[in-house]
Amino acid sequence: MRATFLGMRHFLLGLMLLLPLFGGAAWAQTQDSRMQETQAQRQQVQPGNNAPVWREVRSGKEGVTTVRGRETGVLVQSEGQTWRKLRNGPITFYGGWLVVLMLVAIGVFYKLRGPIGLHSPPTGKTIERFSSFERIAHWSMAISFCILALSGLTMLFGKYVLMPLIGHTLFSWLAELGKNLHNFVGPIFLFSIVVFVLKFIRDNIPRAYDLTWLVKGGGVLTGEVVPSGRFNAGEKIWFWGGVIGLGTVSCASGLVLDFPNFDQTRALMMLANVVHVIAGIWFIMWAATHIYLGTVGTTGAYEAMRNGYVDETWAREHAQYWYDDVKAGRRALPSGEPGAAAAASAPPQVQH
Amino acid sequence: MARMKFLCDDERCIACNGCVTACKQENEVPWGVNRRRVVTLNEGVRGERSISVACMHCSDAPCMAVCPVDCFYHTEEGVVLHDKDMCIGCGYCFYACPFGAPQFPQAGAFGMRGKMDKCTFCAGGPEKDNSKEEFAKYGSNRLAQGKLPACAEMCSTKALLGGDGDVIADIFRNRAIKRGKGSEVWGWGTAYGKPDHPQQQAPTGAKS
Repeated sequence: MRATFLGMRHFLLGLMLLLPLFGGAAWAQTQDSRMQETQAQRQQVQPGNNAPVWREVRSGKEGVTTVRGRETGVLVQSEGQTWRKLRNGPITFYGGWLVVLMLVAIGVFYKLRGPIGLHSPPTGKTIERFSSFERIAHWSMAISFCILALSGLTMLFGKYVLMPLIGHTLFSWLAELGKNLHNFVGPIFLFSIVVFVLKFIRDNIPRAYDLTWLVKGGGVLTGEVVPSGRFNAGEKIWFWGGVIGLGTVSCASGLVLDFPNFDQTRALMMLANVVHVIAGIWFIMWAATHIYLGTVGTTGAYEAMRNGYVDETWAREHAQYWYDDVKAGRRALPSGEPGAAAAASAPPQVQH
Repeated sequence: MARMKFLCDDERCIACNGCVTACKQENEVPWGVNRRRVVTLNEGVRGERSISVACMHCSDAPCMAVCPVDCFYHTEEGVVLHDKDMCIGCGYCFYACPFGAPQFPQAGAFGMRGKMDKCTFCAGGPEKDNSKEEFAKYGSNRLAQGKLPACAEMCSTKALLGGDGDVIADIFRNRAIKRGKGSEVWGWGTAYGKPDHPQQQAPTGAKS
């Protein structure tokens, strides 16, 4: 009987491998009829044989129970084993080392290349780069992201990295704090992404000159000054792929996990968890490069987002087309003041 | 030392839910938490089967493996217990468990679940045996009093057996030989896997 059972499993496995040839519908039909056939046959040949019942149990089919709750009728679910293997295996192992590798790579890059500085001396005159609303939108997103990233890393890797260092009890307090922060800050992050995207989408629309910028790698290695719009192609890719792409994936999967009150199934939550963790790890790795380039990696970049103002040399070298547009009065400053008016109201030396 | 296991004889279970009631009564579990439940398969048709299920106290427990704070532990008797003071209520044990054993007092928005609660094989928790604190958090500690789990003790048809894995396996083997059918042991393959030594083996081929 056991041999037949194994034989059938091999048969099903064979069918799965041949799936692309027959198409999903055909496969489902074959499997269904075969299940019924064996059940009927077996019951005829061997009365009192329970094998079909146990096979049904293993398939996760719901029975009847008086206990109310999520999937209480399911005797055995198998998805949990798969999830455990994935999460405790490749996701933790490769995910952990990827994050470490990324940080090491950034460190090596800093050692070799050093920060991206200015080519001409600063003029001493500043220009508004970000309005206060834009900075609030950016920092709400950035701060909530950092809380989510740190608490997320704690929950996935803390058991292996932090717990041996700070002990069981202290770590469990930290993890509980992290878990609650993660669950409440998550929706704030989602909201701040929406505001941020609406505010910045206009300046992140790809333009023809972005291709030139990409081909030249932004001049990061050659030291060449490559002109770009308000945001360069690298920032635009981060905006579309990171903030919008990974933001959508991690927020959608996060909501499934954050609101268990809708009685979603365990299988769905485990799937969401796998997607969430993988998206989160990519998000953290990518954000690390953004944080590097926005702080120590580029002279003056952090001050731009912190105070909202940059030196005119900085604006010319990092966002030439935007700078030209503002100076020519073709577009307003971030806070809404007209660019040309700002130029006119600047100190008298411009007049001569 | 004995390795504690549960075994539900589906040839005998009549779905009276006596075990469910005994568990609630013995452990005074929080409202909404059901450490044990009876599931009926093929209800009302030929081949109907009922099975009482709770935490099976697995050898290689998935809950223990996925817990981010490692709040689970095995007792010397193989019972899987957890420390509620450490539990962060993430729900991962609930995802991973094949039997749906981990329970949460709430299923609130923002992942507010409260501390996980599950069957303790009537063996309490990490607190002092039979102390007030232990009872409040984990319920009765019958094992420390030399008794077996209340559910199995109360079972009217003795379908649910709980105790030393070797002993209950012997009881079940005798039953299966005498009646000449129903030799499949439900859940043992999943919970106890391959035996460490031959004596621990499930009576006759575990099926699920």
